[in-house]
Amino acid sequence: MNGLLTTSAFWLAVTLLVFEGADRLSRRSGRHPLCHPVLLSTPVIIAILMITHTPYATYAGATSVLAFLLGPAVVGLAVPIWARARLIRQLALPITLALCAGAVTAIVSAVGILSLFGAPRAMLASIAPRATTTPVAMQMASELGGVPALAAVIVLFAGVVGAMTATPIFNRLGIRDYRARGLAIGVTAHGFGAARAFQVDPTAGAFASLGMALNAIITCVILSLVQLFL
Amino acid sequence: MIDAIALLFVCLGVGECLHRVAGLPLPPSVIGLLVLLLWLAVMRRERPLLNTVSGWLTAHLSLMFVPAAVGLINQGPALARYGIGLVVATTVSTLLTMLVTVSVFRFVVKRVGSGAAQVTA
Repeated sequence: MNGLLTTSAFWLAVTLLVFEGADRLSRRSGRHPLCHPVLLSTPVIIAILMITHTPYATYAGATSVLAFLLGPAVVGLAVPIWARARLIRQLALPITLALCAGAVTAIVSAVGILSLFGAPRAMLASIAPRATTTPVAMQMASELGGVPALAAVIVLFAGVVGAMTATPIFNRLGIRDYRARGLAIGVTAHGFGAARAFQVDPTAGAFASLGMALNAIITCVILSLVQLFL
Repeated sequence: MIDAIALLFVCLGVGECLHRVAGLPLPPSVIGLLVLLLWLAVMRRERPLLNTVSGWLTAHLSLMFVPAAVGLINQGPALARYGIGLVVATTVSTLLTMLVTVSVFRFVVKRVGSGAAQVTA
């Protein structure tokens, strides 16, 4: 019985079943950001690990095939960028400038505010890539000496905040340009933002997924340069 | 299908090489993304299977990072100590980034004067 708790089959089955249950709840909620399948399934799996006294390292090793797929998945983000190459060429200047301004703001404000709380370097490194999509944030965080798990949770939280506040804020400010709205939500709230933007308007959705994919590149380039020169 | 999967792994492999050999500090997968972008720009061919494979992977991204998120199990002390700081920093940063991005985009579009007719209200 004890041997079972170290096998890949067991932990992959647990992870997939819990995730599938969470995904059904999320669908039933109309994809509410707070009911994101990762937010619902993570605490359940943590509870299962605690009940079975399974060390995290055992679980991570048993499910490593899932994390392995993140690599090709991130590479594949090139496809939606290329599909929108025409949009990028038409609006090259506004997209580039808005993207760079947004990426710098995200990094500086997140790291700056967290350092006011006296957080150690590893924690600052975990929050620095907070505006990129989760897999990129985790890899960039570990590149910078941060904690991938923390980065993942910070990014998910940023996604929830962005997805829930963007539409009311933009409406209040009277911003009707769905290109600007989409890009902004994609840059600050990655996949969560893009999912929300597609619910509001197809143009906003296209610009949001573009903002998400491009920001993954820009933020990593900026952080790499900072790391090289500091 | 296999050629599309192979293409993703070749790009990732090149990313891995540049990361290790050339010491590029970008994550290998992000270098791979740039390599694939370059490849698409040079080849300029329709690749429906590549769209299928990368679309499938992107659609299931969240499942893939569940094991990493479960790593929080070891972050209890850090969260207890800096949880408020993380919440404040992330919330403010998210809102600020949104406002800066939307403002810069609108400002530049107005200044350059491009695409104003395409505004979908």
